[in-house]
Amino acid sequence: MAKSKNPSYANINGRAVLYAVLIIVAAYYLLPLILMIVTSFRSMDEIRMGQLIEWPKTFSFDAWTMAWSEVQIGAREERGLRPYFINSILMVIPSVAISTILGALNGYVLSFWKFRGSELFFAALLIGCFLPFQAILLPQSQLLGWLGLSGSLVGLILTHVVYGVSFTTLFFRNYYVNLPHELVKAAKLDGAGFWVIFFRIILPLSAPILVVTVIWQFTQIWNDFLFGVVFSDPSTQPVTVGLNNMVNSSTGEKQYNVDMAGAIIAALPTIVVYVVAGKYFVRGLTAGSVKG
Amino acid sequence: MAELKIDNVYKSFGEEHILKGISLDVTDGEFIILVGPSGCGKSTLLNCIAGLEDVTTGDILLGDTNVTYEAPKDRDIAMVFQSYALYPNMNVRKNIAFGLEIRKMPKAEIAEEVARVAKLLQIEPLLDRKPSQLSGGQRQRVAMGRALARRPKIYLFDEPLSNLDAKLRVEMRTEMKKLHQRLGTTIVYVTHDQIEAMTLADRIAVMKGGIVQQFGTPQEVYDDPANMFVAGFMGSPSMNFLRCEVTKQEKDYAVQIESQGTIFQLPVDPKQADLSSYVGKTVVLGIRPEQITHVMPHLVAEQYITQVPVKIEVTEPTGADTLVLARINDQECECRVHPQEAGKVGESMELLFNMSKAVFFDEQTEARL
Repeated sequence: MAKSKNPSYANINGRAVLYAVLIIVAAYYLLPLILMIVTSFRSMDEIRMGQLIEWPKTFSFDAWTMAWSEVQIGAREERGLRPYFINSILMVIPSVAISTILGALNGYVLSFWKFRGSELFFAALLIGCFLPFQAILLPQSQLLGWLGLSGSLVGLILTHVVYGVSFTTLFFRNYYVNLPHELVKAAKLDGAGFWVIFFRIILPLSAPILVVTVIWQFTQIWNDFLFGVVFSDPSTQPVTVGLNNMVNSSTGEKQYNVDMAGAIIAALPTIVVYVVAGKYFVRGLTAGSVKG
Repeated sequence: MAELKIDNVYKSFGEEHILKGISLDVTDGEFIILVGPSGCGKSTLLNCIAGLEDVTTGDILLGDTNVTYEAPKDRDIAMVFQSYALYPNMNVRKNIAFGLEIRKMPKAEIAEEVARVAKLLQIEPLLDRKPSQLSGGQRQRVAMGRALARRPKIYLFDEPLSNLDAKLRVEMRTEMKKLHQRLGTTIVYVTHDQIEAMTLADRIAVMKGGIVQQFGTPQEVYDDPANMFVAGFMGSPSMNFLRCEVTKQEKDYAVQIESQGTIFQLPVDPKQADLSSYVGKTVVLGIRPEQITHVMPHLVAEQYITQVPVKIEVTEPTGADTLVLARINDQECECRVHPQEAGKVGESMELLFNMSKAVFFDEQTEARL
């Protein structure tokens, strides 16, 4: 008898296979990260002499301080990734905030204050989600030139806001169409106007989708390389560009430990955001599918 | 409190005409019910009164002011929604106070008003709860409380009881009626439930296809329907419609029915209809189930009562009565008899047809004769 007739054995076997597959897949995805972390704590001597994958014999933060504030990147006076990191923060906070607020307002109008042609407007806005980054590089740099914002942080923020509004609007609009319209009707009869309804009724109900949008926008903008490299000058480059320059501009031997530490530093904020808010992210994405 | 006048209101969405010339006069303190099947335009009309939708043409007057083009917040109207539409992020107290805060009422007065409404509706223990922590009936009360708090000119109810279970619905219905008697406010109430309409309303507007078919007291609408639609819609189980031929008797007219192969002439009360021009033609006889009963000896001799034996096809006991489905003129006919008198399925049973309240309709136009 090849097949066990006992259903509990079948269950256990199924579980075992499932967990085995999950563990293999998790290890497959975790391995590069573990390798990066391990390498970042090894010294160059050790890396040079030993294997690529090996447990550190000595444990040092040298590579991290190097990557953060000491390594020479290009021909800059300031050293390390720190100035780039600060640029990224200065760029990502207003970009995320403005694009999220605009998305919420757009979604609110498109769901509850429909006007003649609002569906067409929404459809046109959605096209923005399908535009590849590369397609807007030339017109956008032309526009920033006209506005006198070339190479500035404000120009970069503007670019991210404009590009992000399509997505944020889509998120909020799709969330709001599932809210009962009678809420807004009731508030109108209670005497509330456009802004009062938005701030006192709709926004307090938007927490799940706010989290989703903020995570999405934060990850997109923080991880962006193309806009960062095209629309900035050396003093306003974000950390993704800084990391690229650091890895590519080494003289002499390749400092793997510093590269690894730098890469982790550049990725750290998005990891933190996911760890802190990931629970809400999943909850927000599935909100509306289950009532209540 | 105020009277409401709806004057020849049309509402169209593009080529789709939802309201086709609605005119209603509602006097101060009246409880009006708009009833009709779904898609008849009753909710649209309510939204037009509230100002949540613009009318295409026509006027809406509240008291002496024409509010047709005023924003909802300037009309001084409160509305209770089918889904209650309580603000989920606010507790009950805030929900009730919201409209008052927006209207910049002083804090002390708001607290007083919330307390008054909470006492009136007996929701005092619930004031600090969120809507998600309330049962359906409690939410319904809070929604009413929110409407009551502002003391508006008129109240609009959009199917407020249809999300409640059957038992609670009956309780709330009674309570709603008590509340109206106590407050004496003008109410326009939308429902698709004709029992709710009959029990609550001072006057009922029966709507179909964007037109008011009849506007009258519950008894008028029930006894004296304007057409076949109103007759069929009001009353449960609904009125029987039997196609039958009109015959001339010695001095009056009668309609002819056939049961189990025998022909009977049911006399027509001239007060109910003049069928002189329909002799030899077919009309629709409308007769309610309660006018076809088991044999009661004291009634047999009455003028407009005829005894007819029928074959029972189905019996449906409701407890108080048993509904007997019989076949008359090869059409189904529902009759309401005493449970103990009801025969068995397949048997023959003697029934009394009381024609004194029977109504007649034109076969083609479905208009009342």
